[in-house]
Amino acid sequence: MIATSGRRRPLGRTIVHVAIVLALSFGVLAGAGGYWAVLRSDELARSPYDPGVIAASRTVPRGRIVDRHGTTLARNEKDANGELYRVYRGTAASQVVGYASTRFGRAGLELAYDAELSGLAGDPFADALRKFGSNPYDPKDMQLALSWDLQRAAIRALGDRRGAVVMLDPRNGEVLALASTPVYDSSAIANPATSEAAFEVLRRDEDQPLLPRATLGRYVPGSVFKIVTAIAGLGSGAISSATTYKEQPAAEKNGLLVQGFRVRDGHHPETGNRPLDFVEATEVSCNIWFALTGLRTGGEELVDYAGRLGFGAPIPFDLPTAASQVTNGSGNAPGGFVDDVELANAAYGQGETFVTPLQMALVASTVANRGELMRPRLVTALIGRNGTRQIGAQSLRRVIDPADAAAISEAMTRAVEGDLGRRFTTGAKIPGITTAGKSGTAELGGRGEPHSWFIGFAPAERPTIAIAVLVEQAGRGAEVAAPIAGDLMAQHLESGG
Amino acid sequence: MTSASSPATRIELPRILGAIRPRARWTETSLIAIVAVALVVGSVSLSLGVTGRLAPFDPRGLAIYVAALVLAHVGQVLAGRRSDEILLPVVGLLGGLSLLLMERLPQDLVTLDIGETQLGLGDVQLVWLVLAIAVATILGITVRSDSWLRRYKYTWAASGIALLLLTFVFGSDVAGQRLTLRLGPISGQPSELLKVILVVFLAGYLSENRPLLIEQDTRLGPIRLPPLPYLAPMVAMWAIALGIVVIQRDLGAALLFFAVFLALTYAATGRLSLVAIGSVLFFAGSALMASLFDHVRDRVDIWLDPFADPLGTGYQIVQSLHAFARGGLLGTGLGEGLPIVGGRLPIPEVHTDFPLAALGEELGLVGVIAILGLFFVVIERGLRIGASAADDFRAILATGLALVVGVQAFIIAAGNLKVLPLTGVTLPFISYGGSSLLVNAIVVGLLLALSDRGVEPPPPPTDVRRWRDRLRRRAAR
Repeated sequence: MIATSGRRRPLGRTIVHVAIVLALSFGVLAGAGGYWAVLRSDELARSPYDPGVIAASRTVPRGRIVDRHGTTLARNEKDANGELYRVYRGTAASQVVGYASTRFGRAGLELAYDAELSGLAGDPFADALRKFGSNPYDPKDMQLALSWDLQRAAIRALGDRRGAVVMLDPRNGEVLALASTPVYDSSAIANPATSEAAFEVLRRDEDQPLLPRATLGRYVPGSVFKIVTAIAGLGSGAISSATTYKEQPAAEKNGLLVQGFRVRDGHHPETGNRPLDFVEATEVSCNIWFALTGLRTGGEELVDYAGRLGFGAPIPFDLPTAASQVTNGSGNAPGGFVDDVELANAAYGQGETFVTPLQMALVASTVANRGELMRPRLVTALIGRNGTRQIGAQSLRRVIDPADAAAISEAMTRAVEGDLGRRFTTGAKIPGITTAGKSGTAELGGRGEPHSWFIGFAPAERPTIAIAVLVEQAGRGAEVAAPIAGDLMAQHLESGG
Repeated sequence: MTSASSPATRIELPRILGAIRPRARWTETSLIAIVAVALVVGSVSLSLGVTGRLAPFDPRGLAIYVAALVLAHVGQVLAGRRSDEILLPVVGLLGGLSLLLMERLPQDLVTLDIGETQLGLGDVQLVWLVLAIAVATILGITVRSDSWLRRYKYTWAASGIALLLLTFVFGSDVAGQRLTLRLGPISGQPSELLKVILVVFLAGYLSENRPLLIEQDTRLGPIRLPPLPYLAPMVAMWAIALGIVVIQRDLGAALLFFAVFLALTYAATGRLSLVAIGSVLFFAGSALMASLFDHVRDRVDIWLDPFADPLGTGYQIVQSLHAFARGGLLGTGLGEGLPIVGGRLPIPEVHTDFPLAALGEELGLVGVIAILGLFFVVIERGLRIGASAADDFRAILATGLALVVGVQAFIIAAGNLKVLPLTGVTLPFISYGGSSLLVNAIVVGLLLALSDRGVEPPPPPTDVRRWRDRLRRRAAR
C-alpha cells in the first residue's frame, strides 16, 4: 500500500538548497570577473586587438626613440587629418627600430616595446592611481645603447652586400651597432600616404629586407666557431693551451680518419711538420687540430659549453632572436650528434652548426669580458612622466675561468697580430691598438661563394668593443669581413669609445 | 485582471478604500533615499567623465526616474500593503544603472519618432523604465488574489505554446533569430513573457501533484522515479526547450526554461534523481544539437576559444573580455570608458547583450560584483517569499519568479564572462528593451503581491481529497 503522510514536508528546505546552488553560481561569476579584470587584465588591455590600444595609437603620441648620444631615431608627425604617424631617422636602423603603422602593425623595437612606447605599461599600483587622473596614457621615451654614427658606418661598410654587423661593449652588454643589410625605409611604411605601396615592394624583394639578419639569420659559422670549441675544450679541462696532437701534421696531408671517414684540411706549409699548440693552431686556423680537440672534448661538453654561451635557445634580448645550434640533435651520440664525423666537422664550424651574428658577437664578448657573459642590451632607459627607469648591466653567467679566457684572448690576438695570423687575417688590425679576432670562411657545400665571417675585440688588454661581422657569400673571411671589422672598431675607438 | 467571476474577489470598491490604512515602510523609505543619492552621485560622475562638468549628466531624466521610484514607494505606503520592502529599491538601483548606461552610450543606437521629436536610446529606455516601475507597483498593490493564476494553469500553458507558435509562424527574423512578434505598431519578444507563463503553469502543476511526485515510486532498476505519467510534463518541457533551440535558434531561452523547470521540480519534490535525469537529457540533447546544427556548434567553438578568431567570429566575446580587462579592479569611472573607435562601438549590441561588460569597464570588478550582489538580493528576497508562503502554489510561484530573473541574469553574465557560451538573453532590469523590462516588472509586481501577509488566504486544499481518491482507486484496481 502507499504510505501517505498526513503532513507534507514544507518547501523551505529545498528552496534553501536552490539558494545555495545559485549563490555558488554567482560566486563562480565573481571569480570569472576577477580572472578577466585582474589576472588577465594587463595582457588583454595591452593587446593590439584592444580598441583602447587602437584608439590610442591614433591620438596619443608614441614615445621618442633616441640613440646613446641623444640623436632622435623615431619621432611623431601629424597627417592632414590630425592623426599621428611615425617618422624615422634615415634607414640604417630600420631593422632595429622597426616601424609602427596603423595599417601594417608593428616591427622591431616598436613591436617589442609597444606597451611602453604607447604608454600603456606601468606598474599595477601606478595604473590604479592613474585612473583618478585625467590622462591614462604615459608614453615612455626610449634611450638606446645604439650609436647612430656607428650603426650608419656599419651599414655603409656592408654596402650593397647582404650581411650583418653586431658591435657591443663586452663589459656591460650595451649593443652599439646592430646592422643588417639590406635595410628598408621604415618611414615609408609608417606614413599612411605611402605605406601600402612601400610594403608591397618590400614583400616582393627577394633579398628579404624585412628579415633582421643580425638576430634572426642563421648561418654556417666556419672557423669563427673554433672559439666555441676552444671555450669548451679549455673550460671542460679536456685540453690545455699546450695541448698538441702527434697525428695532426700527417693528417693535414692525408686527412684525419674518423670512423672510416676522412676529415680533410689544407696543409699549412709555414708551420712545417711540427705539431701545433692551441695558440699556433688558432693563428693558422688549423681544422685538424680543432677537430681533434672537439673529439677529445666530446659532444656533450661541446653542446653544454655552447649552451652556456647562449646556443640552443633564443638569446634573452630586446628583440626576438633565433636559437643558434651546434647540431640539430637528431643523432644518438653524446650531445645529439649523429657520429664522431659530425662532431669533428662541427668542431671547426662546418657540420650541422648554424649561428646568428648576435650569438657570435656574444662569443667574442665573453672572451673579451674574461669569461663572463653579459646580457646584450639595446634599451638602456625608459623615460616617463614619473621619472626614468634605467635598465642596467646584467650578467647572464660565467662561462669559463678568467685564465682560460686569457688564453683564448692571447690566441685570438696572435690570429690578428702574429706573423702568420696577419697573412690569414688581413685588415682587422687597428693601427696602434692590440686587436684580437678570428676570421671564418664558411663553406656552403659547393653552393656558391662561402660566407665571410669575423669575430673579435679590442683593445686586447682591456677590451671595450666586441664585434661580429658576417657578409653572405662574399668569399674568404680574412679578405672581406676582417677589414670591415677593423675599420668599424677603429672608428669606435678613435671617437673616444 | 482580477477575475470578477471568483466569489472571493467580489468585494465592494468603497470597502477596499475604507479598509486600507496608509502604512509606513521605513526600510523602503531609507533604501530608496540611498538609491536616489547613489544615482545622483553616479550621474555627476558620468557628467565629469563625459563633459567634465560637475552637474548631473541628464538632470531631467534622472529627476523623472527618481520621481517614479518615489511615487511607487508612496503608492505602496498609501495602499497600506505589508509587502517586501527590499525588492523595489534594489530593482530601482539596477534600473538606475541601466538609465545611466543608456544615456552614456551613443544615442542613435535606438531612435523612436514621436511626432516632431525624436527620442534617443536613453530617453526610450527611460520611458520603458518608468512604465516598468508603474507596472510593478500597480501589480504589487492591486493583486490580492492568486486564483486567476491558480485556476487556469492549463489555459496559461496553452496560451504560452500558442504564443510560441505565433512567433514561429508570424514572427520576424532579427539577426538570424525568430524572436520578435509584431502586432501593428507594437513589437515584442514573446519568449520573455513565456518564462512567466511557464512558472505559473509549473506552480499550478507541481503544487497540485506534489504529494504524488514525492511519495510514489516507479522503479527503473536502481533509479526511483515518480509515476511515469507524471513525467510527461518533463518530457514535454524538454521537447519545447529543444524546439526553441531548433526553431527559434534561441539557446539562452532554452537554457533558462529548462534550468528553471529543473530547479522548480527539485524545490517541489526534493528529488535529485529528477534533476539528474533532466540534466542528462538536456546535455544529451545539446550534444545532439551541436552535432546536427552548425549554429549551435559554432557557438560552442567560439566559446571554447574566442581568441582563435579575435576579429571575426570571436569578436564580440573577445571585445567583452577586453572591456572587463580595461576596467580592472576599480574601473575607468562612469563615462570614462572607450568611446566609439573607428566609427563603431567597441562591443556590438552592447546595450542589449553586453551591458555587464560596459559596466565592468567603467565600474570595474568592484562594480561587477556589486551588480551580481544586487541580483542575488533579488533572488534571495524571492526565495524568502517562497519559503514563507502560505501554501505550495505560492511557494513554488515565488521561487519560480525569483529563478527566472536570477537564472537569466546568470546566463547572460556568464556569457559576457566566457563562463558559458554566449546567448542572446537580456540582463534583467539593465538591458535595453521594453519586453524585457515590462516582463521583469511583472515578476517584481507578483513577488511584491505574494509577499504581502495581508492578502487573501489561499483556498482550502480541496485538491488533497481528489488525489487521495485517485490513489485509492488505482490501488484498488
